[in-house]
Amino acid sequence: MSLQFALCISTLLFLAGIGTPIGYSTILASIVYLIVAGQDIALAAETALWGLYDSFIILAVPLFIVAANIMNAGTISDRLLSFCVSCVGRFRGGLGHVNVVASLIFSGMSGSAIADAAGIGKIIIEMMTKGNRFPAGYAAAITAASATIGPIIPPSIPMVMYALVSDQSIGYLFLAGIIPGLFIGLILMTLNFVIATIRNFPKDEAVSLREMPKITLNAFPALLMPGILLYGIYGGVVTPTEAAAVAATYALLLAGFFYRALKISTLYEIFVRSARSSATIGLVIAGALILNYIVASENIPSQLSSYLVGLEIHPLVFIVCVNLLLLFLGTLLEATTIILVIIPLFIPACADLGIDLIHFGVIAVINTMIGLITPPFGMLLFVINAVTKIPLREIIRETWIFMAVLISSLMVLILFPDIVLWLPEKFGYVSAYQ
Amino acid sequence: MKTAFNWFQRISESISAAMLAALFIAFILQIFSRYILNDPISWTVEACLTIWVWLVFWSNSFVVKHDEHITFDLLYFAVKPNIRRVFALIGSLAIMIGIAISIYPTWDWIDFLRIKKSTILYIPMRTVFSIYLIFMVATFTIYLVRFIRVARGEDLDEQAKIADEEIS
Repeated sequence: MSLQFALCISTLLFLAGIGTPIGYSTILASIVYLIVAGQDIALAAETALWGLYDSFIILAVPLFIVAANIMNAGTISDRLLSFCVSCVGRFRGGLGHVNVVASLIFSGMSGSAIADAAGIGKIIIEMMTKGNRFPAGYAAAITAASATIGPIIPPSIPMVMYALVSDQSIGYLFLAGIIPGLFIGLILMTLNFVIATIRNFPKDEAVSLREMPKITLNAFPALLMPGILLYGIYGGVVTPTEAAAVAATYALLLAGFFYRALKISTLYEIFVRSARSSATIGLVIAGALILNYIVASENIPSQLSSYLVGLEIHPLVFIVCVNLLLLFLGTLLEATTIILVIIPLFIPACADLGIDLIHFGVIAVINTMIGLITPPFGMLLFVINAVTKIPLREIIRETWIFMAVLISSLMVLILFPDIVLWLPEKFGYVSAYQ
Repeated sequence: MKTAFNWFQRISESISAAMLAALFIAFILQIFSRYILNDPISWTVEACLTIWVWLVFWSNSFVVKHDEHITFDLLYFAVKPNIRRVFALIGSLAIMIGIAISIYPTWDWIDFLRIKKSTILYIPMRTVFSIYLIFMVATFTIYLVRFIRVARGEDLDEQAKIADEEIS
């Protein structure tokens, strides 16, 4: 490691550590690098600006954020929820199942775990805690756990970011997430059923079959959205980035004209809010682009890779170690930072060790999503705490079991890559394992 | 002064929202022209990317507040208020120094790009990237103000107050 790189990393750790925004910390750290290395300081701005200007796929991020915000504001989430209640509310632990199924469907539209928790999650926690039917901590914990499914099932903002740093096809990444997402959903529902039986949580009153058609019809246009998006992408109608715009348009049409639940002033608020979050993510992306450039010019990933290949380390050992590291970092760092800054370090090593990069990407995204619910720094826990006022302590106490189950599911997906790769292979993907 | 500032904030916000809306509409136009009209327009991609660069740096200059940034604040909120103030001072100072050192070389590079025009719309790249200079100046000002306010002993962290209450 060169002196300039060591200084760059220590500046980054120091500034980010004392609470300087991550985006600024990375930009400053790279300026330190450029000065010590005697290179042109303008390279920092140059890399960031050309990087942002050249990466068309990243435009999906602001558009998916808009789509998710429209769905939350325009009662689309509420309608989906009543549909889920009528389907799975009648089983033991009813609203817990509703929570998971709602996340599965909602995630097929928004691609953001935070939007899931803040929108649909808030409503369902209110339903679950009404009349003390479920302990508040449990309601919050299962909401957080099921929100992690969001970015695994397409469309997915984190997967767009992974595609950016790994140069993999977003189309195949999206496909690869579908079965793992459903798999984790099923596991969570099983866990909810077991806990509900042991702790004797209530069922919801069964919705009569006569009401079912009306509720289904009401939610039907919203239910169509995941289908439209998948057809659009895999039917070759739109690129995954354009699909984000289609999702936002569809949500806008539904909320504005079909359900008539969107005022112009609300729409304005949505755009302001979405612009804010897009810009904060954009700044972290800008910083990460510079840092990735430095890391690449220092040859770190290929050095790491040749070192690991030299050790004759087994790919499975490698992937498990990387995952343990990511889980650890996930307790401290935000998912965007991990995907954009940390994961690129391991991509060449993965490729050299014969690990499939679509498999690795899905695993890595799931891993960072688990990181969203691990204390002390779990973004989803904070969001739920902020929108419901349920104390963090109560939420965290109930979260452990979900965390354990999610990590076990992650292990299964690591050990059996076919669960991830089967669907993309059906669509013509040739994996590195073949 | 305060109302002027509020107005400024509101106008900046509406510009951010308008840029995002423009990005959105350009995308829709692109899809529409390709699949419905069968006559793809080429300028939308470039327009989107230009707007995106402006959206990010414009919003970070005038709309996004310090505490809205993605931040690792575990340590920051775990330490005593005095140390927290030192952290805030060091962070703000580092940002100001970084900008002060890099603003001239960066300006030089951006200014040089006046000779390079974008491929489809022929916008000089200097114009496209000039927002970064505005961003540098604005960020410098934001952190200068933050530095002065913290140094004067003002408490800028609402969240920090809550964190303190929880500890006590």
